[in-house]
Order: sequence, then C-alpha cells, then structure tokens
Amino acid sequence: MSTDSVTLTIDGMSVTVPKGTNVLEAARTLGIDISAFCYHAGLPVVAQCRQCLVSVEKNPKLQPSCQQTCGDGMVVHTTDPQSTLARKQQLEFTLLNHPIDCPICDKAGECTLQRLYFAHDNEDSRVDVPKVHKAKVVDLGPTIVLDQERCILCSRCIRTCDVVAGQHQLEFAHRGDHEVLTTAPGEQLDNPYSLNTVDVCPVGALTAKDFRFTMRAWELEATPSVCNGCATGCNIEIHHKHGRAWRLVPRHNPDVNKYWMCDEGRLTYHPLREHRLAGATVDGLPAGWDRAIRAAADHLAPMLAGSRQAVGVVLSAEASNEDNFALGRLAKAWGVTSVHVAARPDVPGRADGRLRVADVNPNRRGVQLIAEALGLGARPVAELSPDVRCLVMLGAELPGVAPARVAELELIAITPFERAAAASAKIALPAAAWAEAAGTVTSAAGLVQRMHAAFPPPGQALPAWEAIVRLASICAPATASGADKLGFTHARDVFKDMTQTVPAWSALTWAREARPLALRFAGSRG
Amino acid sequence: MAAPSESSASPPARPPNEPGRSLKQLVLGRRDVQDLSDNEQELPSELMTVNMGPSHPAMHGTVRIVLTVDGERVVASDVQPGYLHRCFEKESEYATYTQVFPYTDRLNYVSPMINNVGWAMAVEKLMGLTGKIPRRAEYVRVIVSEMSRITDHLTCVGASAMELGAFTPFLYLLKCREWLYELLEKVSGARLTHSYVRIGGVSKDLTPGFDADLTLCLDQIAKVMVEVENLLNNNKIFRDRMAGIGALSKDDAIATGCVGPIARAAGVDYDVRKDYPYSIYPEVEFDVPVGTTGDCYDRYLVRVEELKQSIRILRQCLVQIPDGPVMVDDPRVALPAKQATYNTIESMIRHFKHIFDGIKVPAGEAYAFVEGGNGELGFYVVADGTGRPYKAYVRSPSFVHLSTASQLIHGHLIADIVPIFGMINMIGGECDK
Repeated sequence: MSTDSVTLTIDGMSVTVPKGTNVLEAARTLGIDISAFCYHAGLPVVAQCRQCLVSVEKNPKLQPSCQQTCGDGMVVHTTDPQSTLARKQQLEFTLLNHPIDCPICDKAGECTLQRLYFAHDNEDSRVDVPKVHKAKVVDLGPTIVLDQERCILCSRCIRTCDVVAGQHQLEFAHRGDHEVLTTAPGEQLDNPYSLNTVDVCPVGALTAKDFRFTMRAWELEATPSVCNGCATGCNIEIHHKHGRAWRLVPRHNPDVNKYWMCDEGRLTYHPLREHRLAGATVDGLPAGWDRAIRAAADHLAPMLAGSRQAVGVVLSAEASNEDNFALGRLAKAWGVTSVHVAARPDVPGRADGRLRVADVNPNRRGVQLIAEALGLGARPVAELSPDVRCLVMLGAELPGVAPARVAELELIAITPFERAAAASAKIALPAAAWAEAAGTVTSAAGLVQRMHAAFPPPGQALPAWEAIVRLASICAPATASGADKLGFTHARDVFKDMTQTVPAWSALTWAREARPLALRFAGSRG
Repeated sequence: MAAPSESSASPPARPPNEPGRSLKQLVLGRRDVQDLSDNEQELPSELMTVNMGPSHPAMHGTVRIVLTVDGERVVASDVQPGYLHRCFEKESEYATYTQVFPYTDRLNYVSPMINNVGWAMAVEKLMGLTGKIPRRAEYVRVIVSEMSRITDHLTCVGASAMELGAFTPFLYLLKCREWLYELLEKVSGARLTHSYVRIGGVSKDLTPGFDADLTLCLDQIAKVMVEVENLLNNNKIFRDRMAGIGALSKDDAIATGCVGPIARAAGVDYDVRKDYPYSIYPEVEFDVPVGTTGDCYDRYLVRVEELKQSIRILRQCLVQIPDGPVMVDDPRVALPAKQATYNTIESMIRHFKHIFDGIKVPAGEAYAFVEGGNGELGFYVVADGTGRPYKAYVRSPSFVHLSTASQLIHGHLIADIVPIFGMINMIGGECDK
C-alpha cells in the first residue's frame, strides 16, 4: 500500500481513497449518499448540521462523516440502527420550525430538505406546539431575498461568501431557535458572486430576485453549456423550458470554475430575448433567406471580381470557434486581405483574480488561433482601412469604429441581434445565439469547451456557420475551386476541418449532443 | 359497325361477324345470361381484394383487414392493428408511477379497473408490498375488478348479438352495463376511465350504501341475463351464425398464446385467478367454465357463464369484506391525509414528493399479471430507482388474440368475420397500446 492512500470499510464494502479524504466523500465513491446539509465539497467543513452522523467502530459516539478523516482500517456503518435513528431524529429536529411553504417556495422540487426527509425520515409530525416565526421577506442586497423561517442554519452561504467572493457579508445572530441568518454589521450581500449562495442553499431561504416566482424548478430542463459572459468560460447548465432560458447555474469543472460562477454571468441569458433578429432583411425590409443571400452575393460579386480592397471581413470574439472558422475560410477563399476581429473592449475593474477577468469576450483566444492558422493576418476592427466600403461581419457590433464610419459602410451582418452596427446593416442574416447552437468557445486559458443547443433559435435564424455556408454556396469565390464552397452540413464538420487546420487543436474530438435533462426526474439538484 | 361504349365489367368484345350472337348483343355489345354457357354463368372466379376497416362498425375500435376473397369466401387476410397506438409504454417512461394509472384506464376501456389493479400489482411487487395491502383494499379491488369483468362481457356479448341483428339483447345488456358504470362512477368519480386504484391500495373507500346498491344491481342483471339467454341461446339465427364459426383447437389456442375466454372456450382450463391466485381470490368460490369446440358459440357461452360467476364472486365479497383502511400504511406510497398535508411540513413534503417526483420505486424489474376481461393481462416494469418507470411493457391479451384472427376467419364468409371479431373481443386500446 502506498503511503498517500488509505483503505477503509464502509457498510461492508472496502474502498481506497487518498489520504485526508473524509468519510462522506469516501462513501460517495461507493454510491452511498450520506445525508448532509452543511457539507459542500467546495467549502470548508464545519460539521454544523449533524445530519451526516455515522457510527465508526471502536468509537463510542457517532461521528460527523464530513469531518471524520478516513483512517486505514477504519470500519464505518451508515445503515446501523444508531445512525439511521440519528438521521431521522436530526431531520425531525430540522423540520421542527420549518414553515409549510413548499407550494409557494421556489426551491420546492430541488430542495435538499425535501429530498433527505423523503429518503431518510418520512415520518409524521409529532409537533403540537406553534412554530417559531421569523421574518419572511428580508432584503439582503441587490440580488437576494432571505426567508429566515426557511433557513436551517447550515452556514453554507456564509462560507460561500467567505471563500468564493472573499467577503464576509453574512452572519448568524441570536441563539437557539431564535437564531437567524442576517447580514454582517455594516454589510449587505452585494458581492459579485452572491447568487452562488442561492445554489448552495439547501432550502428556499435564499432566493434570487432574478429567478424567484418565474418558473417552477421541477418543470425545467437542463442543457450543459459554457458561459459567454467573459473569457473565463465557466461551465454552466442552461435551465430552460418553453424555448427560452430561465436561469443559468454553474456546472462543476475542477479546472475552470469549480462549483461557482459570477452574478454577471448568470444574467447573460436575458439578452437572448432582446433585440433578436428573427428573419433576414435587405435594406431594412424583411426578406427570405434565399433573397437575402442572393442580394448579398450580387452586392459582393463586382467587388470580389476586382481588387477586393473594398471588401472587409470581420470575425467576432463573441461568436463560437465554428462560426469564426467558417467565415475565416470564406475570407480566405475570396482572397480578402482586410480581415478584422470585433471584440468588446476590456473592463479593467472586472478582474478580481477569482473567476472574473477583464476580457468580456468569450472567444478572443479562439479567434486569434483560427486567424493565425488560416494566415489571415487579422487586426482589430478599429484599424479598418478607409478603402473598405463593404463589410461581411459576424455579430452585431463594430467596437472602436466611429459611428460616422459605420454609417458609410455597407454591412452584410450575420448576427443574432438587431442592434448596434447590425441595426443599420444593408443585409442582415439572422443567426442563432450561443445558447441555441452547438459549438465551441476557447477560454483565455486556451481551453476549448463545448456548448450544446438548449432550444431552437427564434424565427428563421440559423447557426451562423450555416448562414456562411449558404453565402459561400452562391457567392462564387474568386479561386472557383470546389473545396472553397464550404461543404459543411453540421457544426461537427466545421469542427473537424478546424481541428485539422489549427495545430493546437489537432487532438480535440467532438462530443455527442447532450439531450436535455428533465430536472424533475434527474434528482441532480437538491 | 361502331363499337358501343362498354362498361369495364362486360366481357371482351368479339368480332362482329362471329356466329351465335343475338341481336341484343350485337346492339349493346354484351350477351344475355341465357346466351352464356353453364361454365360462363358462374361468377368470375378471380380473387378480389377488399378493404375492411379501419373505420367499420364491426371493427371494434379501429383495425384494418385487407381481405382476399374468392366470391364471398375469405382465402387470405392481412390484419393490420396499430390505428389506436397511443405509445402507452413510451408515455409511461415520462410519467410517475401513479400517473400511469390513467394511461392503463385507456388500455382495455371496457374493464379499466382490472388494468388499474394489474399495474398496481406490478409496482407493488417491485416495492415488496405484495401481500401487505390491507384486506379491505384487496376486497375492494376484487369487487371493482369483477364489476369490470361483467361490464366487459356485457359489452362483448351485447355488441356481438347486435352485429348479428339481435338488437334487443344489446339494449338490455348495455342498460345493465350502465347500472354498473353508474356504481363505479359513484365510487371513483369517473364513469369510464376510473383511475381508482393506487399503488398500495385504492384511492378512496367504497361509498356508503354501496353493498345495497350493488346487490340490487346484481339481482337485476341476473334477471336480465335469463331473458337474454332465452333470446339468444336457442335462437336459430344466432346459433347458425355462431356455432362452428371461427373454431380454434386447444392446441392452436396454446400455441398462439391465447388466454381468457377464447382459450377456455377451446378447452384450455387456465384462469389466472385459479392458477396463479392473487389478491383474495383464494377466499371466494367460483368455477371456471371451459368449452369444448372453441367456436364462437362456445366463446359466447363461456362469457355468459363467467359473467354469472362474477356475480357469484361479488355476492361473496359483499358478505366477506372486512372493515379497515383501503391504503397500506407505508409512507413510501401512501399520500398523507389532506388535514396533515395542509398543517404539517412533514406531510406537506411527502405529498409534494409523491405528486411531483413520484413514488420512489427501488431499482429492479417485475412482472405481475391478472385475469383481465380478455385473459391474462400482464405488466412488466423495469425501475431505476427514480419516480418513473425506466421501461414499462404490457402483455395485452387482445394483441395476442388478434394475431389469431387471420387464421380464424380463413375459409369463412365475409359476413362471418363480424361474429368472429366480436367474439375475439379485440379492444383497440389494449391491442394497439
């Protein structure tokens, strides 16, 4: 046996874990889910809820398994009468003053207290005295509302603020059954990671102002994706229903965001429903796909036949690798020399050394690598040459280009949104937004991460790479070789071509499409 | 001479100067019957394809038969079920175990209670609750099951008689069925799709005065059955149309997997209630009628006798039924009382979990079967530990019976398809799932 691992027995099963692992985690590797409220794998252990008590042989008292470090040869029982009874009694105790709020509680359906009661206690109430009442709607700050009655005093939220945001903003006050969660003196819950406390809350005590009373949790379906709010690329789940997102929650990734994400990122689902372009337009008037593509081709043909100085192509640091690669390929085929990258400017105050960084573009690194691999010599869009009259652009914005210059440009925009520069486009082709199409983005650390389509794009919008393929199919490139027609039929095709082109990505493979997971039956939360 | 226009049915035109053609034939281009030779006077012997169903009054539900007929006689047939497919099994994978009950109602919709019981028994087997259901609940289940069996047989016999022209028994029997439906509606709240049984028992107790109502109802049904038997049993038309029609041998019945009245009419003495006794059937006396010839008339007689045996079982149940709860006292499956749900958090959570997440059935697989209106009705369930089935399968007797239909109607007249189909008693909802 190596010295950095220990072997112990839990419920008759032997398990070997790294030294320092606690019994609760060791049991989880065996598929034994020891009930717990206060324990969270991403937070310091406090053994506060006493819900995870187990009996350890040669130890007269029950031990909290979250705090009990595994020892070599340790024998643990989780289903013996003593610890079973302890769990039951602890749940009864926790429910003593819990309000009868399930029908109006946002957490119902993904509530740890509900889950553990149903799995470990399921006994009738024996209480015949009135419950202790506390404050119901406590405004803790700009993002969160607290219900003190529902709080079971596990302190997960306090530790989350301490650890994730590095700010001690929450605190317990009073004693006994009058103990309540409240803000620390002179503080309010306003740190940029505050909404993580809603995720870790095992009950409905902390609810997000953004989500509360909008959608029942068990109705939602989850699709894995990646946050497009900044260059960190936090792994997320899009919780959606009826063809729209209702909230974003972090997905565990030990290499990127662990269990967390920032509040700003969580709210990035709202723009998915604002200023959307649902159908192609030509000169500001609705046009079908075919007519818009034909108009774009007719407009580009004379310029592409000439010196091509007048045509520019703009890649977007906000679009996926696939979309940028398809447009880069097309620019290459056309022989366009003026290739630029549109990226939102850095927000220096945003960087905090935790998850938030100054670069608010999800894919700046990816665009750089693609442009380099294709030999496009891409420059920032602010350095647009005065010779350029017509721009084929990805995305809605041209950051750094003066409005007067934008007004004199003829824009062919492949964009999810009808705003900024795209609002004045000569030809606008509707594209799917990040949550609506399969694709990848590259984080600042160079990690290429996969996004899955959670719901269909609005109206006639298509994934941007598909719009580019349509444009390529009709807008004959100058080189006129068949290969330049971009015969992609699936995002996977684009990805494959891309991995063969970009040296750094040669080992990457395309994962299977993820099917939405119905939270009601998944039991994945709570 | 210009050829007059000919209908497609007329024989091919012959040269005009051929001898032996009458004036009429010369004028009209076809021959008189008396001009035909004996051989030619027979109907053309070429085979014809006829479509029967899917929308046909005698096609019980919707099923299509592509018949190849030689004159009136069926020489080949292609029975095509599936028009009533509602994805029962797939739908069940997206519903909680309790939410499947309404789907089972729509399997055999003339005896939904038996389907309810079958589904409940399969899930109870997975949960280790078999044999732990309160005795009153078991009695209630048998009472409603046997009432359903009576409604099933009343429908089958009544509809078949009506299809053969005997309208009076149909009206009599459907009236009887209505009395039972009214009683079941009183008990469950729904006339046809009861969804009355629950995992662990039944949703609510019988109504006050139920036994008096049922006794009255059974007395009247018994009287009506005497009249109906007088009208049908020795009725020449009825016997001619039923006896010797669609016979199935005992060996064939076993080989094709037939069960219930069809197999019993063919002499197979198999009744799940006797051979694999469940619930409280061992505690009641009843006989299993078995036929000899396996034809439609035997199937009719077996159903009538089973109906009387069901009345016998019901009368015993009404005497023997004990007092007590109708739901097992197990928080895993029993919904808490409304009073407790609204007033304690424990019951509120349990209620919430039962309704939204479903009853947590431990991982495993189980098959449970009951004697349905048409025979062995089985449910096979695979559980994965969540609140919904990982896989559900129903062994529906109608589907198996329908597979013999092609064989049974072979060689009979088109008109015989009606009694054969009536006595197979294919229930579209059950057959097509």
